[in-house]
Amino acid sequence: MTQVQLFVTCLVDSFFPKTGQAIVDIFSHLGISVDFAREQTCCGQPQFNAGLRKDARAIAEHTIKVFENTTGDIVTPSGSCAHMFRHNYLELFEGDSLWHPRAKSLAARTFEFTEYLVDKLGVTDLGATWDGVLTYHPSCHTLRGINVDRQPRALLANVRGATLVDLPHAEECCGFGGIMSVEHPELSAEWLKRKISNLEASQSPTLVVTDAGCLMHIAGGLNRQKKQQRVIHIAEVLRNV
Amino acid sequence: MTNNLRTRIRQSIEDQTLQTALDNNAERRLNGRAAAFQSIPDWRERRQRAHAIRADVIEHLDEYLAQFIAKNEGNGVIVHRAKDSAEAINIILDISKSLPLRTLSTQRGKDKTLVPLSPVFRGRDLRGEKVLIAKSKSMVSEEIELNHALEKEGIRVVETDLGEYIVQMRHERPSHIITPAAHLKKEQVAELFHEKLGIPYTTDIPTLTATARKVLREVFLTADIGFSGVNFGVAESGTTCIVTNEGNGRMVTTIPPVHIALMGMERLVPNLEDLSLMLSLLPRSATGQKLTVYTQLLNKPLPDQTRHLIILDNGRTRLKNSPLKESLYCIRCGACLNACPVFRELSGHAYIGKDKSIAPYPGPIGSVISPGLLGENFVHLAQASSLCGACKDVCPVDIDLPKLLTRVRAGESPAVDDRQLTTDGAGLTWTTRFGLQMYTRIATHPKLFAASQKFAALTMTLFSPRSQWIRLPAFTGWGYSKDFPRFAGKTFRQRMENGELGVGNRGIENRDSETFQSSNSPTSKPSHLEQFSQELTALGGHVTLTKNPTQSIIEFLNMRGIKKIMLEPNTLDESLLREANIEFTNTPDDQTPVGATNAICGLADTGSVLEADGALHASLLPEIHIAVLKSSDILPSLPDAMKFVKDKNAAVFITGPSRTADIEMTLTIGVHGPKEIHVFVVE
Repeated sequence: MTQVQLFVTCLVDSFFPKTGQAIVDIFSHLGISVDFAREQTCCGQPQFNAGLRKDARAIAEHTIKVFENTTGDIVTPSGSCAHMFRHNYLELFEGDSLWHPRAKSLAARTFEFTEYLVDKLGVTDLGATWDGVLTYHPSCHTLRGINVDRQPRALLANVRGATLVDLPHAEECCGFGGIMSVEHPELSAEWLKRKISNLEASQSPTLVVTDAGCLMHIAGGLNRQKKQQRVIHIAEVLRNV
Repeated sequence: MTNNLRTRIRQSIEDQTLQTALDNNAERRLNGRAAAFQSIPDWRERRQRAHAIRADVIEHLDEYLAQFIAKNEGNGVIVHRAKDSAEAINIILDISKSLPLRTLSTQRGKDKTLVPLSPVFRGRDLRGEKVLIAKSKSMVSEEIELNHALEKEGIRVVETDLGEYIVQMRHERPSHIITPAAHLKKEQVAELFHEKLGIPYTTDIPTLTATARKVLREVFLTADIGFSGVNFGVAESGTTCIVTNEGNGRMVTTIPPVHIALMGMERLVPNLEDLSLMLSLLPRSATGQKLTVYTQLLNKPLPDQTRHLIILDNGRTRLKNSPLKESLYCIRCGACLNACPVFRELSGHAYIGKDKSIAPYPGPIGSVISPGLLGENFVHLAQASSLCGACKDVCPVDIDLPKLLTRVRAGESPAVDDRQLTTDGAGLTWTTRFGLQMYTRIATHPKLFAASQKFAALTMTLFSPRSQWIRLPAFTGWGYSKDFPRFAGKTFRQRMENGELGVGNRGIENRDSETFQSSNSPTSKPSHLEQFSQELTALGGHVTLTKNPTQSIIEFLNMRGIKKIMLEPNTLDESLLREANIEFTNTPDDQTPVGATNAICGLADTGSVLEADGALHASLLPEIHIAVLKSSDILPSLPDAMKFVKDKNAAVFITGPSRTADIEMTLTIGVHGPKEIHVFVVE
């Protein structure tokens, strides 16, 4: 039986455990067992993006060690954490003869969730159903960081009963940007406003994302503005049979 | 310091006029860019090649510079090297002061033979007036704050790019590296022109543009020095390439007796072939044009012209030896500004340093090179980014800007003036730094991590027992515009550990992953002539097919009631012209309405014509430019024509009538160069 390692991400773990559960369900149905390395915490992206490289390295070393004790591909429900493993870890350990090769092996094993389903498993139809309209927001690091876009779209296209509509200016950042949303709340607020008005223009009640960061940001904004639209991780749509 | 920036950001966001202008800029430029790239389907491969070329140049910069300088000296150009802005300014001051310029200008009027380069000069007595420098757009001159330094020394400097002219009159810095007045509405320009130039208030953009043409024409004709930047230097041939749309770049490099070109030392390409590649990417990225209206290639000074070339370091060597080296690959197209959601809220004026001075380079590239070149004052700008990657996506030389921004944040920008102030987490507020360092402790200890999750969940449930969301105060940053989710009562790891993740049953249907087919509709390829005509017509130019160009041109002139033309020798049948009572002259002046020239060749894919040396004035000064082109001389593309450039003193590819979009991004035809271009193609 094939086994995958789930790097669930700190955000899904702490705030959106249902997304993690959906992924476990989907893999079980595909006959793939999911292993969860209990020592995993965070990928260190907040520290890396803030420029705190020493801190980011400490977390990256921890994460590398955790997954070195495991086997199988590493799957994560976040384009930005996948980008962190695949690109930023290599940047962090550039010129480090001890850690760079270890970071490289980790990177080679890492896949974003929809990328893994479509590119590694060749699955684009999970038999999921949805009653209503959906629209998709491509997260910056999923779309531009690791070039994953056709995969989530192909999976959504096969959801029965769902009407997919385009999100205007979909490729624009929602304004999360990790610590930027705290360091520069004014900028973050403007982009969030634009994202929400584009969501309203799409007339879809539901926004699908591939990253819990965007999810908590956009959903937090919708809640503040008392809007009815909801944001959902793609795994929870695909699990819906 | 970050607070200064945040105040400035708030001001920009609240300025509705500015926001409208910025949205307008972003949308038009991005759409224009996307449309222009459709005509080069291999653009991804091109940009990788461009990246490799720029990487090679920066890696071997000393050798390429030596080659470039030697070639220029051989070509009769006076080359100076400046290690910083003070040196560059002194060189320019020395040039301005050492020449008896005003005397020359006066004599120019009295005795045309003395300075045959500028017979257009109309002979006013200018003794006692200030030395006048007519300046074409140059971001490097902004970097060294040249205008300010020159004016302090009693020199009159006039910006001649329409956008730069506007911001100079407003005593502002450019808000965008390509469109300096991108932040202004036409009403503001109308008021400015009414107030400063004394014209009746009008928001009609063509009238405003025509006013600038008239005022600045006088400046070109009486300037002692023409000043320009440099888009590319070609190491192998020593060519300097300058691209402009309005024609002011051509004016300042061909009319005044002295031309000073100021270039950043990194702006080199190895040879003309590489230059063609860069030119296929730069204008498409910058303005959505296949080629700018005027692509000038300068080899030697014109007869009786002195050309100085100043090569500026000003921190570039430092940058080259730092982890920000890749930022030197930049070709200053401004696409990353247009794509950047931060720039779209701010404009260039909000990128301010700790001392509140405006960074010379805004946008994503600016947040890397402003601290990279000028130091710690601008380091905090790099924190104002979500690292969304839109900039990298549009970069024509594929610079990994998000990576470079994280390097600036990591304190890896080079130290300037031995002030090693940059540290880990550069520009971060202390609260965020402290919070993240705490989080590092937690995230490297899994048990502490799990315990903290439980603690947070409990605390937050106490604060917000009923809702899944917590309203944080605005000062936390997050609470400014959104609510924070409550920690899950049971985290994923708890559920996993408790074996709660049940498995349901359902059928799985596997399908092959979708195949994506590109829709290549087979269309017959148009001939070079058809393509040339199509491209030039789309730009507002006119193409006439003829067997007898002189006859056709006489008909055109009669129709327009024109009796006198400026004529490049050996272009038309002069006896026919005489018979038709058309007066013609070879001496350039400012009054003749038509200039007729021979085109060396045409370019099918851009609708351009190549003119050189003897045709430079006739194709620039009059309102109407007529070019005679043999249909067999229409070549497919720019690289095919570079061979004709090598042996010329100066050449220019002309792509349509002169134009600008400097006021409200509204395309306006006819700025400093001709308003009309008519190409008579001889079958």
